[in-house]
Amino acid sequence: MYIVIAGAGRLGLVLAKKLREDKHQVCLIDKDEGLCNRLARELKGFLVIWGDATYPDILKEAKIEKASVCVSATSRDEDNIIICNLAKDIFGVKRTVARVNDPKHLALYKHMEVDNPVDSTSIIARIVEEEASFSDVMNLLSIKKGRLSIVRVDIPQGSPVVGKTLKDIQLPPNSVLVSILRGPDIIIPSGSTEIYPDDEVIAATFIDVEKDLIKALIGKI
Amino acid sequence: MKYIIIVGCGKTGKELAIELAHTENVVMVDKNLKQLDFLGDDFNGKKIWGDGLDMHTLEDAGVKEADALFLLTGNDNLNIVVGKVVKRKYGVKSVILQINDVVKKKIFQEEGLTIVNRTYLIVEVLKKCIS
Repeated sequence: MYIVIAGAGRLGLVLAKKLREDKHQVCLIDKDEGLCNRLARELKGFLVIWGDATYPDILKEAKIEKASVCVSATSRDEDNIIICNLAKDIFGVKRTVARVNDPKHLALYKHMEVDNPVDSTSIIARIVEEEASFSDVMNLLSIKKGRLSIVRVDIPQGSPVVGKTLKDIQLPPNSVLVSILRGPDIIIPSGSTEIYPDDEVIAATFIDVEKDLIKALIGKI
Repeated sequence: MKYIIIVGCGKTGKELAIELAHTENVVMVDKNLKQLDFLGDDFNGKKIWGDGLDMHTLEDAGVKEADALFLLTGNDNLNIVVGKVVKRKYGVKSVILQINDVVKKKIFQEEGLTIVNRTYLIVEVLKKCIS
């Protein structure tokens, strides 16, 4: 796949390297001349273009019409929106993805029809909040912009589920126990599997019922 | 009395705000407190210190009731994005935006938006000078 990334800041660079490892063709565009010179010297296998990607000429130079995806990761939300709009409306790029810098600007991305605005600040805030508030719960993976999470929950001694079998445990809808880690064993549970203290439970849950799931497994929040 | 919102208190925004405020109801929005101070004590309208890209700021400024919205920040991209969203979301009757870049002016023209370009204006005036 050919992917154009506007904005070679930390996010743009990490993403570019990752996509390159997966054998995609990548073009990076940035306004900073010094940065572009350095990147062109140091990075192998990338096309680097110095210029303001909110101008159609620069996008044309990047051959964006050949791109399957346009990722806009600059630090200005208005620029990201304009870049995605140009990519789609003028150059016919099918899919546009953008980094939302300020969550207050997310509504603008939606109104301006950017396909995938990624609100990184809110996603990170959610993860940090989780890490800070539940010590015996760990988020292992977030899928679909954090709507589905895979979590690990350590079952304490006093948990209401200890000694019960899975079929007797009432879990919130849209959540499921995937696996139980007990010492060296990995158990794929069935209805008759019993939960012991100190089990580590791996569960998949929709984000909106995550707190209910944890409450059901630990007994408190 | 018309209800008018101006975003961007630069030279143009300031002059426009002060003049319009004699006869109309004017609200000025700028993200920079210092710029708002440039309006001085004679300005007979409301000032809002806030981010024009944040729809809450514009709602606080009364965008739902506004007869006209002027986007006069020096940032073309911001003026374009906010202009289009406000037109679509709130249906403000007159949305006027300044776009300094000639290429972008052509690309982002849209029904219902009035785009003002400094270069075009000056060229027109200069042409008239010899006619």
